[in-house]
Amino acid sequence: MNAAAFIDLASLVALVILAAALIASIVRIVIGPSLADRVLALDLMTVVAMGFIGAIAIRTGLMLYLDIAIALALLGFLATVALARYIMRRGLKAENADPEVQP
Amino acid sequence: MIVDLALYLGGVLLVFGALFCLLAAVGVIRLPDLYTRMHAASKAGAVGGGLILLAVAVTCFDTGVFLRAIVGILFLLLTTPISAHLLARASYLTGYKPSESTHRDDLKTRLEQNRPA
Amino acid sequence: MSSAFLTVVLAILWAGITNNFSGLNLLFGALIGGMAIVMLRYSIRQRGSLRKAAKVLALTALFFRELMASALRVAYVVLHPNLKAVVKPAIVAVPLTVKSDAEITLLANMITLTPGTLSIDVSKDRSVLYVHALSMEDDKALIADIANGFEARIKEVFN
Repeated sequence: MNAAAFIDLASLVALVILAAALIASIVRIVIGPSLADRVLALDLMTVVAMGFIGAIAIRTGLMLYLDIAIALALLGFLATVALARYIMRRGLKAENADPEVQP
Repeated sequence: MIVDLALYLGGVLLVFGALFCLLAAVGVIRLPDLYTRMHAASKAGAVGGGLILLAVAVTCFDTGVFLRAIVGILFLLLTTPISAHLLARASYLTGYKPSESTHRDDLKTRLEQNRPA
Repeated sequence: MSSAFLTVVLAILWAGITNNFSGLNLLFGALIGGMAIVMLRYSIRQRGSLRKAAKVLALTALFFRELMASALRVAYVVLHPNLKAVVKPAIVAVPLTVKSDAEITLLANMITLTPGTLSIDVSKDRSVLYVHALSMEDDKALIADIANGFEARIKEVFN
């Protein structure tokens, strides 16, 4: 097998595995049970999507995809930070209103 | 020759990165509570994403793309623990309980001492 | 590392990232790098030297080795058929001997990416780091591991 055929096969295998990982993280987003679990799964999903775009970059040879992948990683980080702050604020508010309530 | 070697190496790195991403996703489904899931997502996820970016860096044969991919890896390794830490702290302080199997919890005793009676 | 040297490094990095090594682009990179250094001048300590580079490299090598080990450990735990037998989570208070913000940040980040541990919180007086362990057998071994591994290396780099 020559190198071009090998990289073609490897990227195809990687895309299939990453698709399975995407589906698995979506399952966790759907079943929850809490908001923090969903945010965590969303964070993982952005990383997996970034890997997906990287695999596509290798498969097509278009390195512009790499910029998209890095921008997606940045966006995922900012989204997680914002959602973590949101969880914090919402939780503290609920605690002030009624100490027995578990957010 | 060197080009072929780089392509083979890139393919292997790509498949391993994808496998680690899948492991992270399986861990997020199988593990019992948020904090243990976070172990899977932050470690295996960062390694998987980093390996895929490394595969891009190895197979591109272009200085600009190579440097961007390396900077992307560093960025991923810097931000993943920060977001995991923030999320763990936010959910602990807002009362997300660790699973029943957690056999020791020093943070809980501290929070109870500090709570105004 | 003096700030002039840092500016040159940042300019070359900028030229590499934009894939354009023309004089004007290098100058532009130096301008952006210089601005970043001026903005961060209070957090970058001016007492580094090239001798320290070896220690930084050793710390980096240790970090990447531990990173791979941690990913393999997570893989082992996740793929274990009897999950309850291997997952023994615990939250442990680890006393800190490093004091500055930069050191604590670096230590917390490295703890998160190393086998079986995840940093959750730092106490207000910065003396204790709360660490979540995925499967803890022995708390003394865990604390000693952190103190003798990364904490000692980080102290070497910063002092």
